[in-house]
Amino acid sequence: MRLLTHNMQACNIKGVTNGFPFRVEAEEVMEKQVDFNADFLRNLFPKIEWKALVEASRAMGYHELPDEADSSLLDSDDFLQKFHRALPQLHLEEGAFVCPETGRKFPTALIKCI
Amino acid sequence: MECPTQLSESTTQTLKHTSSSNVQSTPEIEKKYVHRVYDAIAPHFSATRFAKWPKVASFLSSLNSGSLVLDAGCGNGKYLGLVPSCYFIGCDISAPLINICADGGHEVVVADAVNLPYRSCFGDAAISIAVLHHLSTEERRKRAVCELVRAVKKGGLVLITVWAKEQEDKSLLNKWTPLSEKYVEEWIGPISSCVRSPVSLRLQRIPEMEENALGDSPKDSKVISGSKLQETPSPSCEEGSNLEMESESGAIGQNQKEYFVPWHLPYHRAEVSGAPATALANGLARKDDKKGAVVYNRYYHVFSEGELERLMSDLSNAVIVDQFYDKSNWCIVLQKTL
Repeated sequence: MRLLTHNMQACNIKGVTNGFPFRVEAEEVMEKQVDFNADFLRNLFPKIEWKALVEASRAMGYHELPDEADSSLLDSDDFLQKFHRALPQLHLEEGAFVCPETGRKFPTALIKCI
Repeated sequence: MECPTQLSESTTQTLKHTSSSNVQSTPEIEKKYVHRVYDAIAPHFSATRFAKWPKVASFLSSLNSGSLVLDAGCGNGKYLGLVPSCYFIGCDISAPLINICADGGHEVVVADAVNLPYRSCFGDAAISIAVLHHLSTEERRKRAVCELVRAVKKGGLVLITVWAKEQEDKSLLNKWTPLSEKYVEEWIGPISSCVRSPVSLRLQRIPEMEENALGDSPKDSKVISGSKLQETPSPSCEEGSNLEMESESGAIGQNQKEYFVPWHLPYHRAEVSGAPATALANGLARKDDKKGAVVYNRYYHVFSEGELERLMSDLSNAVIVDQFYDKSNWCIVLQKTL
């Protein structure tokens, strides 16, 4: 599962009021090459919850993303490259999503029902 | 990026009345005649789902480059990644179907259409292709629509398609088994807003949908994948299912909308999956030796003209921007306003 998808997902168990974002517990992370596309990244940027992305990427062992980001960074190729590595390339192959409110775990390996 | 998700007062009332736990818990009829069936037929179903419906394809192509698109009820994922410039995520209630999507490299999870596991306002668009007709109560169908609207951002678009009661191609079509009111009440429970339909002993000749719902028939669709199309099954009559029909004098099931639609899983496919033995034992499926297939029934609530539009009537944060009938489906496009 990519970080982009993780950034959209929220725990929807009955009673949970704020199930976003899932905490990531990474057991196996892979990087799969994807063609770099600056426009695509620029389009995606406004949709991203940045803090959630940074936390999840760090949980997956990638520490290059800045704590904060705004659209001015989109002019920086260095930033875009880092963003590119994190967003479409990193894959959580095995591990779990943990609901931030209840602590309930959802193993990603089984593409578990969330 | 904050975005309010306001429900109209009447929708809130409806949800409160039904209580969110009720509307989200799956009725037996869906568990048995939607979930379990799709789980059992997943590989065969997937093999027959390759033709892309032109209307869906054009909707997706019309989206801005870089759009984030949710396919809720994605089945075998045939629309995921259809437009390379967009990013797709999908979900479906069927784990076997999701596994097929995942094998294709798609970003998918197992999830329920009435309770989507996503934060609000993230998508540029959402599609729900031939999904809502598997939900057995109006409240659940409305809830699924609310969820789709919740998922997209302000200005985002939602395309919904459902099977029409008014079928276009009657020739091949065979049988749907109409479900009696008593049957529906047993399996679904009390329905507050369902139209009570008079039921007749006479089975009306209703055109069947089977594999042809989305323009898979050779003469209609433009097949983007170029694969050989599935042969349509012969329209021979079969045994009716185990129903109790109540009689009403003089009434024809004009408002009949609840049906079982058969799916024929060829024996050689059934042996591979292994599920059929249990299904046969439980009475959920039966064997048709003449056709060499295990026959499952899928539950459908088909939509009459205007019904899809009425389903949107409680939405205060979206408007209808398009609606049309195409290949025996009612279709609607919504745009989120708040």
